[in-house]
Amino acid sequence: MSTDRREASAVDGPVVDARDLHLSFGPTPALRGAALAVARGEIVAVMGPSGSGKTTLLHCLAGILVPDEGEVWLAGRRIDRLSETARSALRRERFGFVFQTGQLVPELTAEENVALPLLLAGVRREQAVADAGGWFDRLGLDGLQRRRSGELSGGQAQRVALARGLVTRPEVLFADEPTGSLDSLAGEQVMNLLTDSARAAGTTVVLVTHDARVAAYADREVMVRDGRVTTAERVPR
Amino acid sequence: MTVPLTLLGLLEREPSHGYDLKRDYDTYFGRGKALPFGQVYSTLARLARDGKVAVGELEPGAGPDRKRYVITEHGATEVETWLGQPVEPEPHLQTVLFTKVVLALMLGRPADQYLDAQRAAHLQRMRELTEQRRNADLVDALLADHGLFHLEADLRWIDLTVARLAELRNEVCS
Amino acid sequence: MIRLGLRFSLAGGKEAAVRLAVTAVAVALGVGLLLLTLACVSALHSQDRRVAWLETSTHNRRPNVDEATTDPLWGAVNLDQFGSRVIDRVDVAATGPHSPIPPGISRLPGPGQYFASPALVRLLHSTPADELANRYPGRLIGTIGDQALASPDSLTIIVGHAVADLAHTPGAAEVRSIETDPQGSSVFIHHPGRLQLILAVVAGALLFPVLIFITTATRLAAAQREQRFAAMRLVGASPRQIAVIAAVEAMLAAAAGVVGGFVLFVLLRPVMARVPFTGQSFFPADLALTPVDVAAVAVGVPVVAAAAAMVALRRVSITPLGVVRRVSAAAPRAWRVVPLLSGLCELGYFAVVGRPSTTSKQIEAYGVGFVLVMVGLLIAGPWLTMVGARLAARRANRPSELLAGRRLADNPRAAFRSVSGLILALFVTTAAWGIITTVVGYHNASTGGAEGQRLMAEDFVDHPLHALTSTTVGQLAAIRGVTGVVIAHISPTAPGGPGMGPPDGLVSCADLGEIPALGHCQPGADTASLPWISGAGISTNSSQLGAKHLRPAAAYSPTQVESLPVRSIYIETDGSSAAIERVRTALERLLPRDRGYVGPPSTISEISPDAQQQLIGYQRLAAVAIIASIPIAACSLAVSVAAGLTDRKRPFSLLRLAGTPLRVLRQVVALEAAVPLLLVSALSVGAGFVAADLFLHAQLSESLRPPGGAYVAAITTALVLSLGIIAATLPLLQRMTGPEVARNE
Repeated sequence: MSTDRREASAVDGPVVDARDLHLSFGPTPALRGAALAVARGEIVAVMGPSGSGKTTLLHCLAGILVPDEGEVWLAGRRIDRLSETARSALRRERFGFVFQTGQLVPELTAEENVALPLLLAGVRREQAVADAGGWFDRLGLDGLQRRRSGELSGGQAQRVALARGLVTRPEVLFADEPTGSLDSLAGEQVMNLLTDSARAAGTTVVLVTHDARVAAYADREVMVRDGRVTTAERVPR
Repeated sequence: MTVPLTLLGLLEREPSHGYDLKRDYDTYFGRGKALPFGQVYSTLARLARDGKVAVGELEPGAGPDRKRYVITEHGATEVETWLGQPVEPEPHLQTVLFTKVVLALMLGRPADQYLDAQRAAHLQRMRELTEQRRNADLVDALLADHGLFHLEADLRWIDLTVARLAELRNEVCS
Repeated sequence: MIRLGLRFSLAGGKEAAVRLAVTAVAVALGVGLLLLTLACVSALHSQDRRVAWLETSTHNRRPNVDEATTDPLWGAVNLDQFGSRVIDRVDVAATGPHSPIPPGISRLPGPGQYFASPALVRLLHSTPADELANRYPGRLIGTIGDQALASPDSLTIIVGHAVADLAHTPGAAEVRSIETDPQGSSVFIHHPGRLQLILAVVAGALLFPVLIFITTATRLAAAQREQRFAAMRLVGASPRQIAVIAAVEAMLAAAAGVVGGFVLFVLLRPVMARVPFTGQSFFPADLALTPVDVAAVAVGVPVVAAAAAMVALRRVSITPLGVVRRVSAAAPRAWRVVPLLSGLCELGYFAVVGRPSTTSKQIEAYGVGFVLVMVGLLIAGPWLTMVGARLAARRANRPSELLAGRRLADNPRAAFRSVSGLILALFVTTAAWGIITTVVGYHNASTGGAEGQRLMAEDFVDHPLHALTSTTVGQLAAIRGVTGVVIAHISPTAPGGPGMGPPDGLVSCADLGEIPALGHCQPGADTASLPWISGAGISTNSSQLGAKHLRPAAAYSPTQVESLPVRSIYIETDGSSAAIERVRTALERLLPRDRGYVGPPSTISEISPDAQQQLIGYQRLAAVAIIASIPIAACSLAVSVAAGLTDRKRPFSLLRLAGTPLRVLRQVVALEAAVPLLLVSALSVGAGFVAADLFLHAQLSESLRPPGGAYVAAITTALVLSLGIIAATLPLLQRMTGPEVARNE
């Protein structure tokens, strides 16, 4: 089934397409010709050891970093040459993000945290909070709307973060080690919810992880080693 | 089950006597349990019968231990195929994986590629199990989890080995 | 341990270095202020010593020479006036070659000679003779040296006379030595005697924001520092060793700050000397620090810093597993408004009921009220901040307002603490400024207004003039700028005198017509009776001025009146300062030497120049306090905001990664800092005006008058400076929230 979807969306072209990316932090090269194409609606896991450059790759795909060389395309439009303001708007309007920890603003309540992207988009306060509230039920967080992030468990906090990432119905969800600080059960909950929500909405997901069991939720995985992307040959069955 | 293939691999490295073969096997793969002479010779005989191994000239001296065994092309192809083909992702396959990696290193084959292929196979299997778990009842889910954890353990070993390949190569080939 | 502490401070990474630098700057500010204040106090003492000689009397406390060896000296010291400036006039007559010589001159001036201070010499040269120089008979023969003058701006003159001219005139005394022991609060110092106290209060008002700044600075990089301590405990360091390290770090910063403070003092000292904060400028050499001052500050400040660091450690228990705060933060409660409200009510009570009967009761009552309001502001602040922030957050539509409002509502104490230094300074200076402006205006209004500003009066109450020839009167009337001269004679039936009330004056109606402001006669009367109308700040009789007043007829004929002794001379001018000075000069020249001095002739509406200079001096001090304290509070705010940023580095960076524009985050920071600053300023200023208004109603039944352009300028300058300081922290935000923060590896 996942193969069918991939083939069908291959007709539209990949939604995220990175070609021959090179990027160095000072004298240290982080990406040396990394390339990745992600089809619409696909869930791709980006794996690799520490320091391999997988987070840097994610940052380039999401328009957070500009590569020294190479191109990044989003649905047929080139994004790596845009200004920081334009890329920031892109991230705000068309992408969603889930990080490992520390993304919730401690002084806001859970529902205000989720509503934040909507507020930034100019939605009125009452409307934004109401929209945000809708996600709490879906993610099993009912009753926690008024809690602060310090009062939530790790798993609850990550689900709130997930809601925040999805609340603007993004085209692409970028997740960097979303379950890295969670135990197995909490991690499983988060990954189930992430993949279910993404598939239901047709959201493309780029998932950086070193955890194979997390990667197993994806449709396919790519390896990043020494700043390059390698995909093992498909094993004929 | 891997003994014949292991011996074949050792023979591909260099032709040797039965005695030396056993000694090498014990050193690299024995793990405290020495391979019985009888098993060595009977395996070698079977391999010769299958055409994967040829018996070399007899050395002066009596006894079967003075026979020198050489690998044939058929045998070499067998080793190649075996190394290049990922093992079925089942739990408790560490010994096999380990053997394959060491042999690959000895024979100067691209061990990292083999390991990558193995990883892809593992991940594919994990994907299947994860999918199964989604709709399964609790018992089946637990079984699937069990499998997943073991596969994950293998993958971690694979990652570590990949990171240590250069070091390992030096040791094995010295 | 000490070496370790030094290493942590100096090589502890960028954040520790920033902390050290900021703390040192804060301490430098405080030390500089402290040193300037100490120098000021010492300068005031020096000023007193310089002019001790003006207090010479027949019984000097500490004579400068052995009285047995000297010839007597006749001398009289009086105050003269030029414009709003005071001239110290000393008339001397030596009886012999060994008469004591006042300091600053090499010999005594003879008849027809005088010495003048450099400032007066400049004034003499730049003013027409008929306005100033003609007052002094003779010629200038030299300058008075600095050692006899209070300030470079002092106007002092020593005029020589023959003994016969000066001896036995009222006010002259025969002395045998010069006084060298200053008593302080002398009228010749021309600044208010309680100035030391005022200075102390102002310095305190300024030091408070600086102290807040220092404590805020020590909170910088606090988390990192505490983690380091926890790690050391894990390795086996005892709490006492940790305390030593903390103390060393504090002492290092304080020592650097002390050095900076001394540098600041040296740089600012010339400026301090030149600006007449206290009504007069200082000789720069007077602004000196005693060795005790220097030692106390140089040693005391680092010691206090070390002690404070150790005390601060008590509030936090550093366990090997991390830092546990002993005190949990609870939200401030509503009862906090009570002291503020009760203070305002107390002042309001007196405004309604009227002022207490005696001066000491007044001081008690107003003192309690003002202190209650001040302390009340400090106590109520956190609660008000929290309530305001909560309201703002609830109604916020934009994310920056929501974030800033919640942050302030969560931790109102921290936000308020940074600006609390402002409360004292702004409240005190606003109330003082408002009161002073109103009092000055009140004086001017109540002492005759426009008419009073043109009408001059010279009174001879204690020693009435016996003869004032018509030639003299004619000469007075002929002065350029004079529009009328009226002579009032002492009524024989109401001679007045001490304890009997001011005497009425008798005038001829013909004369009275020359100055309509003095009132009009009954139709058909020849003479009239004039009540006591005088100037020099005696405001009770200004209501007597005005053409509408009918003066009752007197039972004397004009000729009889003319033969009576003269009580007052009234001269109406065109109001120009030149005319006023010409009148003063002419009166000095034309009137006999032996008349009693009541004070320099002045216009009805002038407050005495002393008092004016006092009040202007207070206002200047207030301006300084405002302009200095608001930016210092802004520094505290900026530092506390920066410290707060490090707490939120990760969520803010990730927000930025997820597309939040930097602009929004900047707005959050700006709101968190600027809003408390502006609100607290408004609150203190408002409370200051309300308190001043209530006080004025109670004491003078007057309303508060608007403070005027200078006050508004001071406040605006200070606020603009402060907002600039806050804006300077914004680039920090950009650097702190770059994508490298989001890397997990």
